[in-house]
Amino acid sequence: MNPTVSVLTEEKSRADVSAKLLKPLTGSEALMQCLVEEGVSTIFGYPGGAIMPVYDALFDYQNRIHHILVRHEQGAAHAAEGYARSTGRAGVCLVTSGPGATNLVTGIADALIDSTPMVCLVGQVAQKLLGTDAFQETDVIGVTMPITKWNYQITSADEIPEMVAKAFYIAQSGRPGPVVLDITKNAQQELMSRPFVYQKCEKLVSYRPRLVPKTEQVEKAAELINGAKKPYMLVGHGVLIAQAQAELKALVEKTGIPVATTLLGQSAFPADHPLYTGWLGMHGSYGSNVMTNQCDLIIGVGMRFDDRVTGNAELFARQAKVVHIEIDPAEIDKIIKADAPVVGDAREVLSRLLPLVNANDHTAWRNEFKKYDAVEQEKVIQPALAPTTEKIKMAEAIDLLSRKTNGEAVLVADVGQHQMMASAYYQYKRPHSLITSGGLGTMGFALPAAFGAKVGAPDREVIAIIGDGCFQMTIQELGTIAQSKLPVKIIILNNNYLGMVRQWQQLFFDRRYSFVELQNPDFITIGRGFGVAGHTCAKREDLSASLDTLLASQEPYLLEILVEKEENVFPMVPAGTSVADIRLE
Amino acid sequence: MNTYTICIFTENTIGLLNRITIIFTRRRINIESLTVSETERKGVSRFTIVIKHESRETVEKLVRQIRRIVEVMAVFGYLNDEIVSNEIALFKIGTPLGSKPLDIEYINKHFNAWVVYWELDYVVIEKTGSEKQIFEFFSYIKPHGILEFVRSGRVAVGRTEKGLVEYLPETEWEYYL
Repeated sequence: MNPTVSVLTEEKSRADVSAKLLKPLTGSEALMQCLVEEGVSTIFGYPGGAIMPVYDALFDYQNRIHHILVRHEQGAAHAAEGYARSTGRAGVCLVTSGPGATNLVTGIADALIDSTPMVCLVGQVAQKLLGTDAFQETDVIGVTMPITKWNYQITSADEIPEMVAKAFYIAQSGRPGPVVLDITKNAQQELMSRPFVYQKCEKLVSYRPRLVPKTEQVEKAAELINGAKKPYMLVGHGVLIAQAQAELKALVEKTGIPVATTLLGQSAFPADHPLYTGWLGMHGSYGSNVMTNQCDLIIGVGMRFDDRVTGNAELFARQAKVVHIEIDPAEIDKIIKADAPVVGDAREVLSRLLPLVNANDHTAWRNEFKKYDAVEQEKVIQPALAPTTEKIKMAEAIDLLSRKTNGEAVLVADVGQHQMMASAYYQYKRPHSLITSGGLGTMGFALPAAFGAKVGAPDREVIAIIGDGCFQMTIQELGTIAQSKLPVKIIILNNNYLGMVRQWQQLFFDRRYSFVELQNPDFITIGRGFGVAGHTCAKREDLSASLDTLLASQEPYLLEILVEKEENVFPMVPAGTSVADIRLE
Repeated sequence: MNTYTICIFTENTIGLLNRITIIFTRRRINIESLTVSETERKGVSRFTIVIKHESRETVEKLVRQIRRIVEVMAVFGYLNDEIVSNEIALFKIGTPLGSKPLDIEYINKHFNAWVVYWELDYVVIEKTGSEKQIFEFFSYIKPHGILEFVRSGRVAVGRTEKGLVEYLPETEWEYYL
């Protein structure tokens, strides 16, 4: 297209919109204008009966609001999550009533448990039909109440500006989360009774997240840190949400405290930093897990002591005092009792802690991690990276990818063994680089989340790491990727099994492999059918060239890697046991 | 098992009751009684919820999770000795010909209960007091034949000098008083 023409069209469209603002707006036009005011440039959606007036208004706004048509509403929700996780801003979904809304439910629940800002705009039947079992009527407010940070039903056009502003504020502030606006069809169609004015919401009477911590809490935390001989910092998603990476680095470099991350905290701290010990959790690194039961002080930052991190919480870090830095007061003492809770935004807290803590280097204490690292290297990592098996191992594929991308890509991992491998073997160097479903463990998350992430971070290489089971849960989103021409790179680690479940059946259910083997379709042919090029890599000697092809592609690309069928993920803390019972084989 | 009275101050919006009760349901905590009314401040509702639980810690976690709801302004959890509380109960007693006569004077004096309505064949007696007092009266009146019995939820105020609304976020409140 001639660029001058494009600019002119855009200007004309802006002029049209400005002229429109002088007339009373319909609810749908008001909604579009609200999105523009909030700086929303991309939305993910799927049209249908009860949202058609909004889609009609969107037709006039398509130069300013880019709409990506997904193939299933679940895809819209995960794409919005991927966008939010790569940008820090709320992802927006637009769907119709009834099934459109209920198809979002998994994504909304996922966003809630992983503190991801998301605004879901959902059509609803006209107000006079509410409660009558009208066509495609579902009680969306009722259905989404337990899985949203906030939800609201809009029944008149006049409410739209205020409630949209409130929705974005609630979704993006404090501990972020998903919100749902259920908009009745009459509210979309009718004219506002007053001129459109948009005022961003900055404060609510009943909702006041504490960002700046209480001084006495910070002082108490500093006192415990200064007194500790074996302090250990556990870093979660909250650090990334608060953009506190620099403050975190400054604090640990001053104090010499070793740092581990949770799964969602991955990439909040550079993996090649000497103070980084690895990651925590059921399949986290050996030393990182074991040392939680040997330190004398745990400093949890922006994390919630999930059961995948603590193992049996009653046996977790009983010897240690606990400083818990967290923005959500409901997380304090929920799982692990805090001796010094600090409620506030991670960045605000860490920057206030910095001048109060003593410089230290804890060399002896840090060296204690090394003996565990050596054991893990010998028993787990080396065999995984230099395997003697005929087939490729997941670990070596991820490791090679890490080296080829210099640890600078964004990995969007699905759920299962490949997810754990993506976390364990990729050396994350830049923040916001591992996007995965942590709390809910939603299979099918990665493909849609990957194109959402690519929209949010167009300049970064975005690579989805997906298992053959997960891929088939949202495989239709290949169509979205092809249509929107987003150069997302997709790696399927195919072992023809639901691998993680199979691993549990092997270890804890006497190898009774109950319904975990998959007869898979030809993924590459399917990809080609959707218009996404790709190839299969079956041999170790082709792996490097295959990854090069994938990375060199300027378009979406699908690389299927056939991996060892019965590979297991280790280390492993069996569910319900202490982290001290971690297994290496 | 301790009895806890949880007072919740919220914005008066649709669906909030549901959002609050979900938090009890998730933890499988049964609600013994629940009352909701608007407070002396306009647009502010007050929920009084009574639960029984053995673990104070769990109740504290519950309180914090309720506080997290966007429209909730403040939550207070109390043990019985920290509040003044009351309930109201209505008893409908049959008085057909030949039934055992009711000793209204005794009922007034001993139980502080009052006849609030009567017809030829029945009377309605109102009894205000603690749960214990209401059930004492229940035992007394039972032989007369209770046609209907209904008890309200507990209403309670804290044993403190300040009103709980004083703890609400600062803003320009409109008052009824």
